[in-house]
Amino acid sequence: MAVTPARVVLSSGFSRRYTGGVREFEVEAKILRDVIKEMDRRYPGLGEHLEEETTVAIDGEIHEVAYYQPIRQGCEVFFIPKLEGG
Amino acid sequence: MNDVVTGFKWVGTRPIRPDGVPKVTGRAMYGADLAMAGALVGRILRSPHAHARIRSIDTSKAAALPGVKAVITAADFPDHKFEYVGPERVAVNFWHVTRNVMAREKALYEGHAVAAVAATDAATAEEALSLIQVDYEVLPHVIDVDEAMRPDAPLLFEDMITRGVEPTPTKPSNISKRLEFQIGDLDAGFAQADFVIEKEFKTAAVHQGYIEPHATIARVDADGQAEIWASSQGHFVVRALTAKLLGMNVGDLRVTPAEIGGGFGGKTVVYLEPVAALLSKKTGRPVKITMTRDEVFKATGPTSGSSMWVKMGVTKDGKITAADGIFRFQAGAFPGSPVMNACLCAFAPYAIDNARSVGYDVVCNRPKSAAYRAPGSPISAFAVESVIDMLAKKIGMDPLELRRKNAATVGTTMIYGPKLAHGGYLETVEALLNHPAYKAPLGKNQGRGVASGYWFNGGGESSASVQINADGTVLVATGSPDIGGSRASMALMAAETFGVDYSQVRAIVADTASIGYTHVTGGSRVTFATGMAVVDTCKKLISDLRARAAMIWGVDVEGVIWEDGHAKPAGSNVGDFTPLSLKEIAGKSALTGGPLTAAASVNAGGVAPGFATQFCDVEVDPETGKVTVLRFVAAQDVGRAIHPSYVEGQIQGGVTQGIGWALNEEYIYDKQGRLDNAGFLDYRCPVASDVPMIDTVLVEVPNPAHPFGAKGVGEVNIVPPMAAIANAIENAVHRRMTELPMSPPKVRAALDNGGAD
Repeated sequence: MAVTPARVVLSSGFSRRYTGGVREFEVEAKILRDVIKEMDRRYPGLGEHLEEETTVAIDGEIHEVAYYQPIRQGCEVFFIPKLEGG
Repeated sequence: MNDVVTGFKWVGTRPIRPDGVPKVTGRAMYGADLAMAGALVGRILRSPHAHARIRSIDTSKAAALPGVKAVITAADFPDHKFEYVGPERVAVNFWHVTRNVMAREKALYEGHAVAAVAATDAATAEEALSLIQVDYEVLPHVIDVDEAMRPDAPLLFEDMITRGVEPTPTKPSNISKRLEFQIGDLDAGFAQADFVIEKEFKTAAVHQGYIEPHATIARVDADGQAEIWASSQGHFVVRALTAKLLGMNVGDLRVTPAEIGGGFGGKTVVYLEPVAALLSKKTGRPVKITMTRDEVFKATGPTSGSSMWVKMGVTKDGKITAADGIFRFQAGAFPGSPVMNACLCAFAPYAIDNARSVGYDVVCNRPKSAAYRAPGSPISAFAVESVIDMLAKKIGMDPLELRRKNAATVGTTMIYGPKLAHGGYLETVEALLNHPAYKAPLGKNQGRGVASGYWFNGGGESSASVQINADGTVLVATGSPDIGGSRASMALMAAETFGVDYSQVRAIVADTASIGYTHVTGGSRVTFATGMAVVDTCKKLISDLRARAAMIWGVDVEGVIWEDGHAKPAGSNVGDFTPLSLKEIAGKSALTGGPLTAAASVNAGGVAPGFATQFCDVEVDPETGKVTVLRFVAAQDVGRAIHPSYVEGQIQGGVTQGIGWALNEEYIYDKQGRLDNAGFLDYRCPVASDVPMIDTVLVEVPNPAHPFGAKGVGEVNIVPPMAAIANAIENAVHRRMTELPMSPPKVRAALDNGGAD
């Protein structure tokens, strides 16, 4: 059975800094760790930046970046700049 | 994910607050109330200049004064590499952080710390400060954000090159960073509009205005073990920053948060703690430092002043087709204004297909900005919500109807890319449309204004531990300093989960050595994330309680259920056992396995954002320009109000701060860049007689990620008030105010000048 990859999107500033402006990717993954590892494989060093500098929206739900977040087939994984409050 | 339960016994009730008696009797222990045998008094020498090179500092005369035990400058602190690490907005570049705690090459604002002393008493410490000789080369200064952005502006950092611009600029400037977010096609969007409105706005910097100045006491022993007590919203962050700044192991430093008299974001960073710790290390004695109100204004982070431009287009039947905004924010002396949040929140309540927001983070000679309640969002909302009001007037539509028509809902694409996953905004608009006062008639010089707001809210790391005492009382400990009633809400959630009486549960805040890592109390995250940790801990204990009951009865644990505070047989086939109360099981804990205690930690996700919509009625006195707020109605989606009185209090507090921000608060500088109004007499915060009773409307659209459906409530309520008041003033006297504060002289000038938009 074909696996529908997740659609991974980076913010434009982040992509300019680390992926030469490429923003959208297709990644097969079951949990967020798989996404991070695959992105790091394609752009060595990117994994650490994703872990340290971003918050993630999985199908719009905002989460801290954590390995165990489940990734459904075909879902949208958006890495946005890390948010802080007061 | 949990099912959201309804029909609660404790959640949603209003028990007396647990910190009430100590606070009203003056017995609560705030930072300045703590005393330690042998403690020295620490005082900080601060720059009298807004901008100056520090050529030399001679501390010898001060050090020789009898009673002075140590004098330090930046030379005593380790330096840090210049490197931006981690989250974009927060200035976690330790090269900057250490220089804000104690100036090195330059003094970058009046009030910037340049040296510190520890002495046996306050008078000696004060005299020692006067003996420290600092050779300053005074430099031209710049404070206003537009002036700081000019190519000929005095530079704070001669090598600052703007990040986020391509190609990389060759000339340095005070612009630390440029950000841009966009969705859709702006040109196409504006082409579809029947009306396009653009306007410029300026806002003054305001301070968080907490009633309790910063205070700390630090003790560093000869073996390198250290303890700090501090007025802080985040003792784990105090620990991390102090350890990093001084080159200590995190595990050697124990931080205890004192009872806190307000923070609002301004106490999520360190000012005094590393200084007190270093003085303690050098003297071998505890050192206590407290700030005066003057120092709070001159040396702690206000929020940003701003200069903004917003342009929006609408069709004649009320569809907003495009939105564009430029937001220029003062970062203060070091980079890190909340301009990114401003860009992301500005248009967030609305479904606009074509939108762009551009932000500039600009350094200038005033204290480094710190977080202030929904940092950045209230500022951009002032501009955007004012323009939306102008659009509504242009097409002759009620401003709430215009918002309803364009409301963001589940699935709306946000300007930063993802689709909105939570509703709640529409409900706040509808709550006000149905409010009895929304159609109440108004008199002469009176007007009504509407505005909305958005805030992300937060999740993240929190820890809790729970003990059940032998008499059945329950102790809940978390790592979240209580700035808004969280002890009561943790106790309510624990009582609800266990099914025991609230009066049996006590909640405390534990120090960094006694509880797992917990992120700051801020970002409207505690009821949500720490609440989850508490409930998870209670559930672990419930499993244990069932196992203890099973042991007492001699049955399998699968045959025991927990209900209404009691262990009960799951069915009659398990056996005929009288239910055991939590107290009864606790009484036998040693027999059944030992103490009943559990802990849990979370890295909470599934955060739902906060939405607020407000309307207010004002009366403008045409002779004096004074604006009186007659009525204020604030609707907010709170998910589930755990303790409604506290939730209402948060809304009323945020609105009151917004009223001050709108009408009176600003920093007034002299020509030398020194602050003229560094005290509450002349920096005018609202007091009880300035505001009407604020009517709160709690809308509950539960967040399924939280065991009781709670959403963060503390911050979003400060986002709409400034625009709501500006819109009400326009409705009253047909003058569009575009500068904050809308103080009497400004309103009078607007009335004199005639004409509106």
